[in-house]
Parts: sequence; structure tokens; C-alpha cells
Amino acid sequence: MLNSTVKDVVIVGGGSAGWMTAAALANALGKQISVRLIESEQIGTVGVGEATIPEIGQFNRALGINESEFLAASHGTFKYGIEFSHWGKLGDSYFHSFGTYGFKLDSLQFYHHWQKHFLAGGQFDISDFSLETQAAKSGKFMHSNNNKNSPLSKIAYGYHFDATQYALFLRHYAEQRGVIRHEGLVESVQQCQDGSAQNGFIESITLQDGKVIRGDLFIDCSGFKALLIEGTLKTGYQDWSHLLPCDSAVTIATENIEQPIPYTKSTAHSAGWQWRIPLQHRVGNGHVYCSKYMSSAQATAILLDNIEGKLIGEPKHIKFVTGMRNKFWHKNCVAIGLSSGFMEPLESTSLHLIQSGISKLIGLFPVAAIEQVEVDQYNKMLTDEFLSIRDFLVLHYSLTTRNDSEFWRYCNAMEIPETLKSKLALYQSCGRILPKDEDIFAEESWLAVMHGQGLRADNNHPAADVRPVEVITKQLEKIKDVIDRSVQSMPKHNEYIQNYCRSTK
Amino acid sequence: MKKSKIESVVIVGGGTAGWMTALALASVFDGEQISVTLVESDQIASVGVGEATIPEIAAYNDLVGIDENEFLSFTNGTFKLGIEFNDWGKKGDSYMHPFGTAGFQLDNIDFYHHWQRQYLNKGGADINDYSICYQAAKAKKFGKPSDNPNSPLANLSYAYHFDATKYAQFLRGYAEQRGVKRIEGKVTKVNLREQDGFINSITLEGNQQLVGDLFIDCSGFKALLIEGALKTGFDDWSHLLPCNNAVTIATKNTEEPIPYTQATAHSAGWQWRIPLQNRVGNGHVYCDKYMSKEQATTILLDNISGATMGEVKHIEFTTGMRKKFWHKNCVAIGLSCGFIEPLESTSIHLIQASIFTLLNLFPVDGIKRVEVDKYNQLLTDSFISIRDFIILHYHVNQRDDSDFWRNCRDMEIPESLKRKIKLYESAGRIYREGSELFTVNGWLAVMHGQGLRAKNCHPLANNYPEDKLEQHLSVIKNTIEQAVTLMPSHTDYIKKHGAAK
Repeated sequence: MLNSTVKDVVIVGGGSAGWMTAAALANALGKQISVRLIESEQIGTVGVGEATIPEIGQFNRALGINESEFLAASHGTFKYGIEFSHWGKLGDSYFHSFGTYGFKLDSLQFYHHWQKHFLAGGQFDISDFSLETQAAKSGKFMHSNNNKNSPLSKIAYGYHFDATQYALFLRHYAEQRGVIRHEGLVESVQQCQDGSAQNGFIESITLQDGKVIRGDLFIDCSGFKALLIEGTLKTGYQDWSHLLPCDSAVTIATENIEQPIPYTKSTAHSAGWQWRIPLQHRVGNGHVYCSKYMSSAQATAILLDNIEGKLIGEPKHIKFVTGMRNKFWHKNCVAIGLSSGFMEPLESTSLHLIQSGISKLIGLFPVAAIEQVEVDQYNKMLTDEFLSIRDFLVLHYSLTTRNDSEFWRYCNAMEIPETLKSKLALYQSCGRILPKDEDIFAEESWLAVMHGQGLRADNNHPAADVRPVEVITKQLEKIKDVIDRSVQSMPKHNEYIQNYCRSTK
Repeated sequence: MKKSKIESVVIVGGGTAGWMTALALASVFDGEQISVTLVESDQIASVGVGEATIPEIAAYNDLVGIDENEFLSFTNGTFKLGIEFNDWGKKGDSYMHPFGTAGFQLDNIDFYHHWQRQYLNKGGADINDYSICYQAAKAKKFGKPSDNPNSPLANLSYAYHFDATKYAQFLRGYAEQRGVKRIEGKVTKVNLREQDGFINSITLEGNQQLVGDLFIDCSGFKALLIEGALKTGFDDWSHLLPCNNAVTIATKNTEEPIPYTQATAHSAGWQWRIPLQNRVGNGHVYCDKYMSKEQATTILLDNISGATMGEVKHIEFTTGMRKKFWHKNCVAIGLSCGFIEPLESTSIHLIQASIFTLLNLFPVDGIKRVEVDKYNQLLTDSFISIRDFIILHYHVNQRDDSDFWRNCRDMEIPESLKRKIKLYESAGRIYREGSELFTVNGWLAVMHGQGLRAKNCHPLANNYPEDKLEQHLSVIKNTIEQAVTLMPSHTDYIKKHGAAK
């Protein structure tokens, strides 16, 4: 029988999703609930998503995780953004940085002033005003300093790390805080069938060794298998392949031939793209592609042709269907991680979606029994988040002039969501970007990708016309100079790592 | 086709909406770029309700560069720290919706969850005991917020009460200095272009023609352009907010002005009291289905203190919003774009929100669908979120003394509001969605104040050790009380900073 109060939480699956959830629940609610995690050493984790966005800092801080310890344990490096090559067209390259641009000149955002300069034929690129981009390109890194007036006081960064090691690090954290781990494979799932309001709720899980683990709330972290949310509860899935057609990836690690750089690289190929994620001890590489346009042998050959350094291990193949579960929380089961949906790691959002699911679950954690109003709120917020990330990813594919393959021709002809269409039209008209307050990618990110992929505004924002373009250009020169000098004063990324978080293994 | 750049803006109607818009446009654009002309008639009085504001108005005053002392002095203004609601949840009840936030963040969750836990387990202190705005308001004190995040004054936030007619005059002074051209006259005809139905010009009395690229309809309830000429249509919300009349009267001050608005519920509506430096503004908002004009006037006159100034004025309205706020080359700002009763002082805020959104989406290079649609979508969201918040005050009540209140309680409310109420009832959770105007603290003040109770507190609140919580709460309460004793009285503050001349 189910308790009328949620007391016992059972997480099915380890990996980043499982252990992040276990660690966070133990930290936030450990005094009130028990947390068990079932995983099997026989099942490998997917372990993609080794690059993150800055928000993960909040997650780690909430858990009281020491940054240098965790980076040392996971061979981590710092990340200022992503360099995109060959996306808008072959030969193009642009940088999506995590930071902001320039300094506030008046009530209007800085980039509108830059836009005026740019449209008047000015020489500066928007990335000239991104401290993070300039630092990344120079192989520099530092944390923000405390001098409020310094451009070095608001530096935004994420990480690259070994996700398997991160999960292990969190496992120690969680087990220290009372999470009980069960080794084993799931044999069967038992549901409540008493015809009550809880009919269909999951009551217990039987492992292959016969052990029965009962619970009040089940977290499905079983990855693509979606053992509970789909296997048991048949929640249904929305397939977004028509918008994001890639459905396969092939990955390989290589040895470092240079010191790790503080950014991810994303290079477009003829039917997808390739990531490069530099860690302290190796480089993670992967080729995401669409199997309709390319065989797995071709994809592997392209990957191997475009890496440097000795291979570590064999190439691994992954299949996926981009989309999201119809409901993330259904009955007494919450899907977190790949079981909740999948979007390719083009903007490093996989771990973020895990984190977001966890923090919303904690925010809405059932006090007594599970109430539909909280379930609905959870699903609504997560759906909004998935959709806003989806639109941002679609942007990279749809906004291209590449014409060199059927894949790219499909992408630039495909019908895109209305929400994205209106964003593009708004930018084209006067360079305006008005994301919603809750959107994870802010104006600066949209600007970087829209401009980087070749979209041009017809006009600058009218309020930027209060200054003559010569005056703006003078101000831009000064700002660029301040940023350049600040970057010069920064330490090298690798030196910073050696002093701060050198990996111990 | 030649590109139709927007070079001339014609504003129809003065009043608060007209002059706020004119001044903002003149402050952001230079006159060479865009000319601004405002047509108004001395023969048409402005409605001038909405003499109380919310803290967001500071952003407008900043944009146009208004000196606070000068403006308060000119408009007989006073400071406002919140609204006191009397007899709303039930007769005899009283609560305040103070500005600012209550308490301090503690242990990763919002302060109010800790308060909720204490309240549900032990009763006792009200959430407003931890609100600097509430405490200062009740003590008739006033001071400015502090930048130091550790100071209790960091949680203070304030707005104004002022004479809206004087405010419009004050803005007019600035606007004319900045190049806005004012034309005295009445509009007799609106001339549309044949090919696309855009407004080409307006004809004034005496046959003067005024041509423009963009027209702003600030003609008030008449909605001369947006409805009269363009037939844009109106969404009527009377089934959700049934009040449709107001009767107003000013009275002489019988005491020093207090730093908050009062809203007292009556049997078929409510009465406002807005204290200015030189007088008190009073008004009774009611529903004529349940009450006659005479009854409403009697109730108003029975519930004021101080000698009356002038005659009572009657205003009729239909609550709701225009189907589009921006249609063709006409943008409706102020009462022409919709009306929500001034229960939470949102009238001037909606003007301001319209102006900011218009500036942000200003169609410099000709009017395009994409900006118009975005404008309408953003403003629609603002109207609807404010509407839901106002309905909350009426719907959550235990009054049983009139059909009006019984019907308010029984009426079908929007799904969005239903969900908010249920979420609060379950575990005291409040989510601010999108760019919703009212804060978590605002929703809490009204939900709790109207008598809605959470069944449980947020589970994370239970993590905090109980004995430490009690201690922590009392420290905060004491700190705020001490801070309030050090603040100057509201009257002294005004005398020093913005006394009317």
C-alpha cells in the first residue's frame, strides 16, 4: 500500500540524472524522506553532456559542493562558450559566449548601439565586446574578481567534465547523506489496482534477485529506456524529428595534444555536426548526424577524419529520437534525464534539463499525498522549458544558407514553429530580441546565434538613433580597449587549472 | 512602394495618458527624427481617477528625468507604502497589501514559507509583522530604501498618491520644453486612407487638418480613434468584475496624510481613500445591478470625514480591454485601451507599460505586422494578469451580507486564477508566471488577507530547526520595529522634501 504521505522515494537508474537527483533530494529533504537508488553495473551510462552551461553552478552551490574538489575529481575544465564553425555557411565561424556584451550606455541594451555601428558599415563584431569570447580565444581563464567597477567582476562560465566521474562524485555525496544504493536489474514493476484515485500508481519494483523495493514516489532515471514513465505508465512521447532531424551519434575520446582550451567546439558537417570537449586528461569527440542522409560507417569516417590525438577506446554508437515525454510527472512517477526527453547536446542543455527538473520537483515536492495541482504546475513549467530550448536549437539548423547537402537543404526549407518565426521577424525588423523572463537563453545568446548564423537586421532600434554613429564608434573603441586590456591581465586557462583543480588521478 | 517611415506622431487627448506618452516620446527621440503633436481641448475634462500608483512608476519618472521633490510639490503628492483593505474577506477584517518584500531569505527558500510554517503550527504573528512597508505605514512613517542588502530598509519599496490632473500639467511643462507641439481643439472627424484603412488625418473644429504617420488614442473612454474610427472591438469582463460605476468626491484633510491608500468594501463594491497634501480623494466603485446611484452616493457621503470640496462626480465604465491595443497605425493608451477598476492602482501603470512597450517596439521604418502582434501580445498578457489579481479580491470572500458578494464567490473564475488558488491551498506555493506584474508578496498578502489558508507549509520549510526559527523570526520583527522607530514621520518627510508651495 502507498503511504498517504510521500515518505519513500525510489530512483531507478544512476548516471548523471540519477545521482544528481539523489544528491539534491538527500540534501534538501533528507530529514523528511528516505531516498533509494537502484542501478546496475551491467548497464553503462550514456554519459553524453559533458559540457554545461553556467546554471550548474547554482546546483552545485545549493549542495555545498566544493568547486575545485569536484573539478579535480571529474578532470574538469572551464568553459566560456561554444565556437560554431561552418553553420551559417561553409567557412563561417562564430562564438556563443555565456557572458554579456559591452557596458550599459543608457537604458537601451548595449547591442542595439553596436547594431547601429554595424549596420552603418562599422568594423567591430559583436564578439569584440564579449570579454568571455576574447578570453576564450586567448586561452585565458579566471573567476570574477570583487571589484564592482571592473569588467572582470561579472564573468560567466560553465564546465567541461567527465560526466561519469561527476556522477560518482555525487554518489559519494549522496551515500554520505543517507541515500541507499541497490545494485540490481529491474525485473518487474507493480502498480496499485484498487480502483481508487491512486489506481495505476507504482507501488513497488521487483529486482532480478527477487528483492522488492516499495516507494511512494518513483523517479525514472533509466535513460532512453524510460522504464517507468513509458514502459509501465505509457505516458507517450512527442517526436520532434521533423524539426531536429538528427537521430544518431558516434563518439570517441582522444588524447590531448595541446593544453585544454576554455570552450567547446561545434563543427557542422554535411548531415549534422561534431563536438569537441576538452578535459584535463583527454578530449571528448562526437558526431551527431541524421541517419536518413548518412550511414553510421560514413559518420564514423567523418568523425575519425576530424579529430587529433590518439584514440582512446573504440567509437560508440548512440541512437535517439528527439522530443519530449507528453508528461514529465505522471501519477507518482517523475521522469528526469533522458527518460523525460532528448535534445542533442548542441547547446549543452542535457545536464541543465536534469537540474531544472530536480529544482522544480523540490520546489513542488508533495507535502502529503500527491496533488494534481502540483503535478500540473510541474509539467507546465518543464514543457515551457523544453519548448524554449527546442526553438533555440532549431534556430541553428533553420538559419543557414548551406546548400551543399540534402540535409542542409531540408533544414533551411523546413517549416519552423510560429514562436521561432516571430522571433526571427522581430530581429530582422529592428534587431529586437524579446525573450520571456523565464527563458533559459537570454537576449545575448539569441543575438550571438542569429547574427552568427547570418541573420541581419534591416534597421537598428530607433532609440539607438539618439547618438550619431561616430559618437557610438568612439565609445565602442574605448570599450573594446578596456576589454582587451582586461583579457591581457588574465591568467592562462591551463595555469589556472593547475593551481586550482588539477585532477588527482 | 515607398517605405513609410514614422516621422510624425499625433496624440489625441491630453490627461495623464496623453502627456505621459508625449513626454516619453519627446525624451527618447529627438525632434528632428520624430515630431510629436498633442491635440486636447480645455473643454473636455480628464477623468483623473488613478491618483494612487505602484512602485513601478519610478521607472517612468527616471526615463523622462523628473525630480521627485519638484514633482511631489507640484502635484500635492504624498508617499504610498501599500493599500489597506477593510471588510473584504469578511466584515470587520482588515489587511494590508504592502509594497516591498517581507522578511529575509533563509535556507534556500523564500521567507514566507518559514512564516507560513510558524503560522500554521503556532498561529501568531502575521506576515506583515515582517514587512517594513507595513510597519512604517501603520506608524505613519516614511523613509527611502537602502542599498545595503542587510538593512531592513532594503526591503522597502514605495509609490505615490498625487493629483493626476496636476501630474498631467507637470508633464506637459516638460513635454512642451522638449518640443511637443500642443494644439487646442476638438476632433470632429477621423479620415481613413482608402487603400488600407489606416488613419490619414484628423479634422479639428474650424476644419484644421492634422496629418500623421502614427496616431495615439488617449481620448479616454470615448476611444475616438481605436473604436470610433477603427472599430477594433472590446472584450467585456463584466461577468468577472461586475462593478460598472463610480461616484467620487474630494474632502478636506482632517488629519495629516497617511502613507497608504485605503480600500473599504461596501455591500456592492468598495470605496477608496487617497490622502494628498491638500485634500483626500474618495470614490465609491459599485455595481449598478445591485445598487442605485443615490444609494451609492449616500454610502460614499456617510463614509468620509472632512468637509466636501465641490460636487460628487459620477463615472460609468465597462471593465474589459480592447481586442487590439495597436490596430493599423493607431495605438490606444489609457482608458481608450481598456479599463480595470483602480483597486490595485494599476491605471497609471498600464499607461506606463503601454508606453514602454511602444518605445521598445517603435515602428521607425513603417508599421509591420511582427511588431504590432508582439505589442498586442505583451499588453494582453499584462491586462490579463492584472485582471486575475483583481478578481482574487472579489472571489475569495466569506461575506454573506449581500447578493453581490455571494455572486462574486460563486462566479466561475479563469483557469489561470483557479490554478493559483489551488496551488496556494495545497502547500502555500505561489509562482510568478512570465512577466506578471504583481509579486509573490503581493499575491500572498491578498490571498492570506482575504482568508485563503494553506493546508500545509512548504516541505522545505520543515528543515529549519524549530527553536531557531522562532528566534530568527523574532529577531527580524524586532529589527524592523527598531528601523521604523528611527524613520521620520511621513509628514516631516514631505515637509522636508516635497512640500506643496
